[in-house]
Amino acid sequence: MPCERKPMRYGHSEGHTEVCFDERGRFIVTCGNDGDVRIWEGLDDDDPKFITVGEKAYSLALKNGKLVTAGSNNTVQIHTFPDGEPDGILTRFTTNATHVTFNSSGSRVAAGSSDFMVKVVEVSDSSQQKTLRGHEAPVLSVTFDPKDDFLASSSCDGSVVVWNIEEQTQVISWPLLQKTNDVTNAKSLCRLAWQPRAGKFLAVPVDTKVHLYERGSWDHVSTLSDDLLTQPINVVTWSPCGRFLAAGSVGGSLTVWDANSKLCVERCKHEKGFTVCGLAWHPSGGQIAYTDTEGCLCLLDGLSTSASDAKDYDALFDDDDDDDDRLVDEGLSGANSPVKKREDEDEDDFLMPATGRVRNRGAFLDDENSLGHEICYSTFYVFPGPLPTHPQKAFQSGSTPAHLTHRFMMWNSVGIVRGYNDEQDNAVDVEFHDTAVHHAMHLTNSLGHTVADLSQEAVLLACPGTDELASKLQCLHFSSWDTNKEWMVDLPSGEDVRALCLGRGWAAVATSVQMLRLFSIGGVQREVFSLPGAAVCMAAHGEQLMIVYHRATGFDGEQALGVQLLQLGRRKRQIINGEPLPLTLRSHLTWLGFTAEGTPCYVDSDGVVRMLNRSLGNTWTPVCHTRETCKSKSDHYWVVGVHENPQQLRCIPCKGSRYPPTLPRPAVAILPFKLPLCQTSTEKGQMEEQFLRSVLFHHHYGFLSSSGYEVDEDGQTRSQKEQQELLMKMFALSCKLEREFRAVELAELMTHNVVPLAIRYASRSRRMALAQRLSELALEKSNQVQEEEEQDEEEPEYSGIRRPSGRKSAPLAGSAGKANKAPVLKPLAPRPKPRSKVPVSPKTGFQLWLEENRKNIVADHPDMEETDVIKDAMGRFRTLSADERLKLQPAIRYFFLLFFLRPLGGSRNDP
Amino acid sequence: MDPSEVEFLAEKETVKIIPNFSLDKIYLIGGDLGPFNPGLPVDVPVWLALNLKQRQKCRIVPPEWMDVEKLEEMRELERKEDMFTPVPSPYYMELTKLLLNHASDNIPKADDIRTLVKDIWDTRIAKLRLSADSFISQQEAHAKLDNLTLMEINTIRSFLLDSLNCMYKLRSNLQPGSSKGQAMDY
Repeated sequence: MPCERKPMRYGHSEGHTEVCFDERGRFIVTCGNDGDVRIWEGLDDDDPKFITVGEKAYSLALKNGKLVTAGSNNTVQIHTFPDGEPDGILTRFTTNATHVTFNSSGSRVAAGSSDFMVKVVEVSDSSQQKTLRGHEAPVLSVTFDPKDDFLASSSCDGSVVVWNIEEQTQVISWPLLQKTNDVTNAKSLCRLAWQPRAGKFLAVPVDTKVHLYERGSWDHVSTLSDDLLTQPINVVTWSPCGRFLAAGSVGGSLTVWDANSKLCVERCKHEKGFTVCGLAWHPSGGQIAYTDTEGCLCLLDGLSTSASDAKDYDALFDDDDDDDDRLVDEGLSGANSPVKKREDEDEDDFLMPATGRVRNRGAFLDDENSLGHEICYSTFYVFPGPLPTHPQKAFQSGSTPAHLTHRFMMWNSVGIVRGYNDEQDNAVDVEFHDTAVHHAMHLTNSLGHTVADLSQEAVLLACPGTDELASKLQCLHFSSWDTNKEWMVDLPSGEDVRALCLGRGWAAVATSVQMLRLFSIGGVQREVFSLPGAAVCMAAHGEQLMIVYHRATGFDGEQALGVQLLQLGRRKRQIINGEPLPLTLRSHLTWLGFTAEGTPCYVDSDGVVRMLNRSLGNTWTPVCHTRETCKSKSDHYWVVGVHENPQQLRCIPCKGSRYPPTLPRPAVAILPFKLPLCQTSTEKGQMEEQFLRSVLFHHHYGFLSSSGYEVDEDGQTRSQKEQQELLMKMFALSCKLEREFRAVELAELMTHNVVPLAIRYASRSRRMALAQRLSELALEKSNQVQEEEEQDEEEPEYSGIRRPSGRKSAPLAGSAGKANKAPVLKPLAPRPKPRSKVPVSPKTGFQLWLEENRKNIVADHPDMEETDVIKDAMGRFRTLSADERLKLQPAIRYFFLLFFLRPLGGSRNDP
Repeated sequence: MDPSEVEFLAEKETVKIIPNFSLDKIYLIGGDLGPFNPGLPVDVPVWLALNLKQRQKCRIVPPEWMDVEKLEEMRELERKEDMFTPVPSPYYMELTKLLLNHASDNIPKADDIRTLVKDIWDTRIAKLRLSADSFISQQEAHAKLDNLTLMEINTIRSFLLDSLNCMYKLRSNLQPGSSKGQAMDY
């Protein structure tokens, strides 16, 4: 059964590396030429913990929370695991040690060195050493017998020696390897491996084969080989159950054999063909981690070796002697296909069974190592079901991980809060992008604050509670006009701050007991309510508060997040109540915030930026995929802000990591937005994307005006113009492609004063049917507008919210209407002239007509009142034909479009 | 030409700054600049960048080539090659001097960069002198030099031309047949 090869990733600088798992299989631990030991929480861990053990680390071993490393300073050191505290020096050599290993109980360590010696040291008492002398060249590898009687070592002098540890004598020595003078020149690292548990076999990699020697008799009982292995095997290791043997070779081949059947059950090639020099089997047996001489770490996952075994047997009997077929198969099925090959040395008692599977089970029970196999069987065979995902921890968007000594505690549109926590200093630096807001601040962080937020008014800091001290919230309200610029609040004991944010005039804090506390910016406790789940992140803008929390347990890498959006201020209400937050498959939330214009936004770990679409029932639209613009797979963009007008995604490009370092100071880059529409390479798709994006990024005007904020009217008209222009282009394109129905659909989206242009275009390109339909549409639209305007005349107080067309959905208009009447508590900036648009609004057809014809009406009925004149005029206007009315539409403003239309339409239709 | 005039020309080069103030687009004869958003990089001419920096209104982002590793590479190449190698910027010396004098706090490893650029400059000037020497000693009529910057040409121009003039005079005096007036043609 093919296993999954996870993408490789860089772990160390190039040179020799080693890898092992901790006993519970939670961490992958690697060491390399850069002298660091890295502790990875799985392959996707972007920020592994590291312990620096020296200038170089040649080898490592891990057992019982003790990490033993062979460093370049000729010592073998112990560190505690996973804390990484130095725990003393175990032993010294006259030159560097080449390989260290634990015995099965973890009580002893064996180390081989380039000074030809092997030492066996008690971990508890390093004075109890046994030195094994006899090699005549640097030692390549050492391994303990699981029963602790023997020790095997290989050396550059070409010999593999088994020692009796107590007597410090050689039991047997095989001249198997090529002689060399140094480890670096050795063709193979020749890492030996003794079968765990029973310890029946000692595996010795000899060139491209693995020899198995039987314990006690020291006979060469069998050889594991594979035809496709062409280069020397560097390292071998047994599966925890002792049944399978994995080997990694020069040139990057990985092979797994079943030691009972001597069959190759798995085969894999290194992604880049680098030489494998470290190999470790996960304690559950389902994964193999390996490292190469270029410092990369890779993982083979899904080694379902026992299940495949049953299949192997079935397959084996189908094409047992069919060697030709097999070879063809190999060629076709590539690196992953296991080859079923039986060795000549196969046990004689292997009888031809009636059915492979049953016979196979029988073989298990008869075997003397059946205990080991059964365990192996059970660990492999039980279907674990969908595994729950580790719920992501609470975070502040715009902060880098808390364990870093120098980190960003917050980077938002207002400024930067940096935290320093090293030997010299524990401090917080606050810096504002705009120095007009406030000068930079340097605070000593005596309380140990870990989370922070920054707004135009204040800095909010919070620290987790300890045994004696409660979790504290500190607010530096620098914009306060009195002399007291600071307040502090203790949270009830047992309650820790998890996330916080600053809105305009208020602060919100989510705590570990799933509570949300609202404070005014001056420190008054205003509200407290319970959250439906553990908070993940919060964001605020003006009067809006957005909270993301764990809705439930996610499975198979998914996070189950829910989102709440609240409108605070005088009229408090919940806009989104706990709906699931859509994330890309197997990703988590990495940034949550609002655009500068107040539209909720978030980014997931896959780099997809999503924005709330208020006009489509508060759905989330992906507006950008930052990873698409990354050059390398390990590059990321760290988002710091989103702007809708102009459309900008502000982010920091990070090479090879997810977040930037504090030094050198990262520079902000700007990414454009791009909706993931189909066929954006075509002209049609491009224009559709532009139009949709323009409409989407236009919605904030409606929201801003409805919540009483100042609106950039220039920008609004500009974007409307852009939309109409795009519609006209799309209209022209569909005319050109003979898609008249589509053209009418597009015309329906146009405003009433652009439709005449479309009619003109259609008639000029001799599409009379289309022009006819469009004129009907235009009539309908102008009637609609007129009705709206008549209503406006009757109810002048609604005229403030004019809309260019009926395209906007009803709920938005409704909320706009309601909110408009309610006075606003604290607008970002006062609206200068809310109804300034009325006098400059374009005149309707009726008004134009009335101006022209007023004289006639007044002449006919000189005695009429003003209202009667209008009524009479209205009657006359209604009797006019549609065409006559159309002439009066104020389409003049869009004359610029003609410049565009001429080349498109003119080329074909004008004589 | 005065070195200060060359420096003046160099000040027209653009450089990225991160302003800490907010200002709309400004419309100048040389082109529009901005808009300036706090915290967002923007391209401006060096003269404006230095002015803003002096008033502590911005941080200067050093040009891409102003990096120790890149300059080291360039220095090695310059030393290895007999010809002049292409320089990172036609005003590399002037920009280095201007930016390092006024904004050394924004440039990581400013001292190393100063030394490196000085090394490159010295190597190039030495080459230039050497080629001038061989030009004269071999009595060539013309020579071609690629990848020279304005400042480099400027340093040698007056000296080289004057000395050629002098030598012409001396030579024409040595040869009795030639008239004196020809020397004045320069």
